[in-house]
Amino acid sequence: MNAPRTIAEYLSQLREALRGADPALIQDALYDAEEHLRAELAENPRRSEAEMLAHVVGSYGAPEEVADIYRDQEIKIQRALRPPPPPKRRSVLGRFFGVAADARTYGALFYMLLSLATGIFYFTWAVTGISLSASLSVLIIGLPFIVLFFGSVRVLSLMEGRIVETMLGMRMPRRPVYSVPQMGLMKRIGHMFTDLHTWTTICYMWLMLPLGIVYFTLAVTLLSVSMAFIASPLALALDHTSFGDLIVDAHPLINWGTGFHDIGWFDVTLLCAIGVVLLFATLHLARALGIMHGHIAKHMLVPRESN
Amino acid sequence: MEDNASHLKKFQKELSAGTVSLVLLAVLGQSRQPMYGYQIAKRLEEVGEGVLSGKQSALYPVLRNLEGAGLLASEVEPSVSGPPRRYYRITKPGREVLRDWVDAWNATRASVDAVLQGGV
Repeated sequence: MNAPRTIAEYLSQLREALRGADPALIQDALYDAEEHLRAELAENPRRSEAEMLAHVVGSYGAPEEVADIYRDQEIKIQRALRPPPPPKRRSVLGRFFGVAADARTYGALFYMLLSLATGIFYFTWAVTGISLSASLSVLIIGLPFIVLFFGSVRVLSLMEGRIVETMLGMRMPRRPVYSVPQMGLMKRIGHMFTDLHTWTTICYMWLMLPLGIVYFTLAVTLLSVSMAFIASPLALALDHTSFGDLIVDAHPLINWGTGFHDIGWFDVTLLCAIGVVLLFATLHLARALGIMHGHIAKHMLVPRESN
Repeated sequence: MEDNASHLKKFQKELSAGTVSLVLLAVLGQSRQPMYGYQIAKRLEEVGEGVLSGKQSALYPVLRNLEGAGLLASEVEPSVSGPPRRYYRITKPGREVLRDWVDAWNATRASVDAVLQGGV
């Protein structure tokens, strides 16, 4: 590979060298490299860009070396920061109940509850921003407003990425998208519109409202139903009448498909067992949805490798 | 000979894997104001090759890790020359950890020196 002569060339070589790596990792590596190179250039204003880069290859590293260092670091970080994987369980029962010992389950469950709030916020922000951008575009303040809105979308994308990485364990960028340098202001604004990544981010913000509603409803409904089932023996012990609408002549009734009868200890024990199974099934569902949502977020919020 | 060089390179890499975090924490612990990545790299360059046998690009992921662990805090400030710079400073838990690490380093160095000088 030729020695890079401009910062843009260096960065594109670095991007090339990192091909196939995690897109989030590539975004971080490009950001770090650009920060360092520009600082180096600013420190020695008399040196030309090409001279500076020749020097940098010795100190900061050639693109291929930097790529190796980041790949190497990533493996170490993953090992150090991830919670230890839960012990593998062989038996079907162990696998079913083992979900409760997995830290990711609770992260995903919490994310499901949080997603209603963030979903409403993102949706409102995106819809308001887009419609105001469109309607203000005929006025002189339209352009700055649009630029501000698109900028805010990038910040929100990074923030959501941090939430997703913390709660769902999906590797997301830690630094904002590296923007194409050396372009005029108008070109830069034009690039915001033609950049597919901006639009997928806005789509994600829209999508978060329906998804948030579904996640929140599922989590709340399933958790409360299973908790209620688990607590049914307590209800029977404390108060016969708490079984609600099924009371006939002051007797609560239940029907398992064999006809109505008075609720007894057998019934509540069965309900309790169903509740426990339902609770763990809910945990499984939360973990699965968490993994699925992590992939959705990664595909829509992290720019793909482009040529 | 080439074999020896690769052994040396591997050893330097393993050595720096542990010491880079300590050195970064120490540099930020001594600094009065927050520093950004490039400044830290230059500071280490002044000290000499030994501290950072690898390339300076290795610093940035480590800085990020230390921040992730809560030992450093950072803020972004715009700069005239390029992308906004991220300034790092040491946190209170960071100082406590640094003290422990320095003790561990001193103990390791003392025992390694003792072995190397044939004191065992």
